[in-house]
Amino acid sequence: MLKLTGISKGFAGVQALSGINFDVRAGEIHALVGENGAGKSTTIKIIAGALQPDAGEIAFDGKVVSWSGPADAKAAGIHVIYQEFVLFPHLTVAENIFLGHERRGRFGLIDHDRTRRDAADLLQRLGVAIDPDKIVSELTVADQQMVEISKALVHKVKLLILDEPTAVISGREADLLFARLAALKAEGVAIVYVSHRLEEIFQIADRVTVFKDGAHVATTDIGDVNRERLISLMVGRDLKDIFPPKRGTGGGKVTLKAENVSVAGRVRNASLELRAGEITALAGMVGAGRTEFAMAIFGGLPASSGTVWIDGEQVGMLSPAQSIRRGMGFVTEDRKGQGLAMLLDVAANVTAADLDAVTRRGVIDRRRENQIAREEIEKYRIACRGPSTPVATMSGGNQQKVIVARWARTSRKVLVLDEPTRGVDVGAKTEIYRIMRQLADDGIALLMISSELPEVVGMADRVVVMREGVVSGELAGAAINEAAIMRLATQHPSAAGSHP
Amino acid sequence: MVDLVQSKPAAATEPKRSLTSRFSHLALPVFLILLIVISGLVSPAFLSGSNISNMLLQVAPLGIVVIGQAYVIILRGLDLSVSSVMATSAVIATSFSGQNGDVLPILLVAVGIGVATGIVNGLLVTKRSVSPFLATLATMIVLQGFRFAYTQGAPSGNVPPLFRAIGSATWNGIPYNILVLIVLAVVFGLLLARSRFGREVYITGGNPTTARLLGINADRVTIIGYVISGAMAAIAGLVLSGYVGIVDNWVGRGFELDSIVAAVMGGISLSGGRGGIVGGLLGAAVLVVVFNAVLLFGLPVQLQIIIKGVVIVVAAAFYVRRSR
Repeated sequence: MLKLTGISKGFAGVQALSGINFDVRAGEIHALVGENGAGKSTTIKIIAGALQPDAGEIAFDGKVVSWSGPADAKAAGIHVIYQEFVLFPHLTVAENIFLGHERRGRFGLIDHDRTRRDAADLLQRLGVAIDPDKIVSELTVADQQMVEISKALVHKVKLLILDEPTAVISGREADLLFARLAALKAEGVAIVYVSHRLEEIFQIADRVTVFKDGAHVATTDIGDVNRERLISLMVGRDLKDIFPPKRGTGGGKVTLKAENVSVAGRVRNASLELRAGEITALAGMVGAGRTEFAMAIFGGLPASSGTVWIDGEQVGMLSPAQSIRRGMGFVTEDRKGQGLAMLLDVAANVTAADLDAVTRRGVIDRRRENQIAREEIEKYRIACRGPSTPVATMSGGNQQKVIVARWARTSRKVLVLDEPTRGVDVGAKTEIYRIMRQLADDGIALLMISSELPEVVGMADRVVVMREGVVSGELAGAAINEAAIMRLATQHPSAAGSHP
Repeated sequence: MVDLVQSKPAAATEPKRSLTSRFSHLALPVFLILLIVISGLVSPAFLSGSNISNMLLQVAPLGIVVIGQAYVIILRGLDLSVSSVMATSAVIATSFSGQNGDVLPILLVAVGIGVATGIVNGLLVTKRSVSPFLATLATMIVLQGFRFAYTQGAPSGNVPPLFRAIGSATWNGIPYNILVLIVLAVVFGLLLARSRFGREVYITGGNPTTARLLGINADRVTIIGYVISGAMAAIAGLVLSGYVGIVDNWVGRGFELDSIVAAVMGGISLSGGRGGIVGGLLGAAVLVVVFNAVLLFGLPVQLQIIIKGVVIVVAAAFYVRRSR
């Protein structure tokens, strides 16, 4: 159905793809896996015509093709469902489905009745009960995803690409999705399925292709691999070389205790304890309320209830400024939106949480600031020209190190890291893991929010799992494994997985 | 605290900034100099002592407003109320006996009104999440109403001689009012560029969420920004009243847009977090030179307005390209 041969693509200085091969057959579900930065997204965009390859050949339906834009690929029957839905929240389901392909009647005006009828037909074909007149913003995320898939059916879809479809939906909804995908597959649609969740890949895929650092590593029938093999293919080395040795639980005193923290609509009566010298992971599905819980503890979100103790002292719910003064830090998930002062330089970002250290009588001591920045650049091996490099020009991994350096300076007691390795290459990842372990060894209590199960299993001394806004369980030491975490995260046996 | 000696240092690879982006901050000064040279060649009168001193006289009130406007725009806002504050401040200047003895009370009352307006603007923007455009438009109109009510539509009275001297007199061709601008520019320029508060302004303007998570009181920083803008506008109003000599209800009309244009031309991004006082003042100088040249060349005044529009588009296009 689709065949990529020797596809290469580079962006300003970075080779995103180097000569990859990839093929999909009609009527199969082909899983595409790899770490962040492996080149999955770039590949999808090239297949979808959103990017043009620098070299290589795309063949679709037996013919060599060259898309000049997404419209070409769409016309040929390729449809992509990105993680971020492309839906207009204030329009109806039917209007969204036929957006850009409105059913027209007399005088070229939109025929609303026909739009509604055709939408109902499509939704029925997909086997979902969604009212075509409903406003999209009123639907659940899972139903919105179904609307996205319906959009693909407006045209005769031959190749459907799904980018991390289960990142936003729960286990039960995922099973419904898988059933729909199986039905499409039976109709002869080729499906490319991108996911981090190895369990579900073993559940639905026929073949799997592994990318790493922009190169094709392997393509195999799903029956010919097992979990461990797949992970080591993705990572390119054994797990023990990536994660620093754990310290193991026991010993550390409780540094921070949060009890019955609630955030309106997101978190209900969640509690946890963080111990000095330990890395505690906060695991769960996207949308389970992990970030909100941690943010409320730090003071970045208003909590409707809850109490925090630091070193046994009851401090109630703090503001970010108070938390920082008490030795807490928060490395946010969204570097660009919340973490960095993107327009400022490395020095200003490193000292941003601790302006006291560089302020003398209200004036910033730029020399002192540069000196601090140079020390941190060396300590964390941040690749940049110097303290005055604008952070906006740096790579994701180096930006992340700037943020970690900032908070490591001020966090005497507690450091929260929300998805600390998202969008970071394997080399920087390994370094960030080592920095985290080092900080823990220095006696700081770390809380790591992560959606990547191998990371949780590899790093955490203790795991607190959340599901739909509540803490659903806690694991420690040898009890930490992916299946156990998934079980607590979904409470849904089939997603917890009994695969090899 | 952290010691990482185990693995090899990462190579310091990073794309070099292009030549154009490295020298882009010189574009405006070069443009200003070119403008002056060309104007001087076209009309020798342009570079005459009296014309230069005339231009300096005009740049002072605009420059003072731009200082405040710069703070607000860097904080992702804009301040339309400055013209109304200026006019109110000018009305206050004539509301006393018109003697030098009243200079201090006039200053206090005028700046007080500017500060109060700034506080209201800041509170509306931060605590009530009103868009800066609407908030400052509203205070502009409300203040205007108070002014009309106070003056009964026909302001009268005299500006104290001291203000007249500062606003319009020169010393060896150098107007006194430019000294006021220089003092304020140095004080508030340093505050922005060097102080802890200035750093908080840039962080808040770049991203208010980041600022909050860093423990910065973003609301307070923003309110102070509007207060500075109000105070600057009040002082500019006094300076301008001394220049105009008489007072009407519309002193300072058009300064709200001119100051925003000057700031944007000077590289202060309307999306916040970027730019500085020096750029804004250069932008103000370019505006004054362009207006002056248009008049001096005997071109129709309407052309001023057209040129202003073109300048905004060109500046906007230039900075959009630069920020990519």
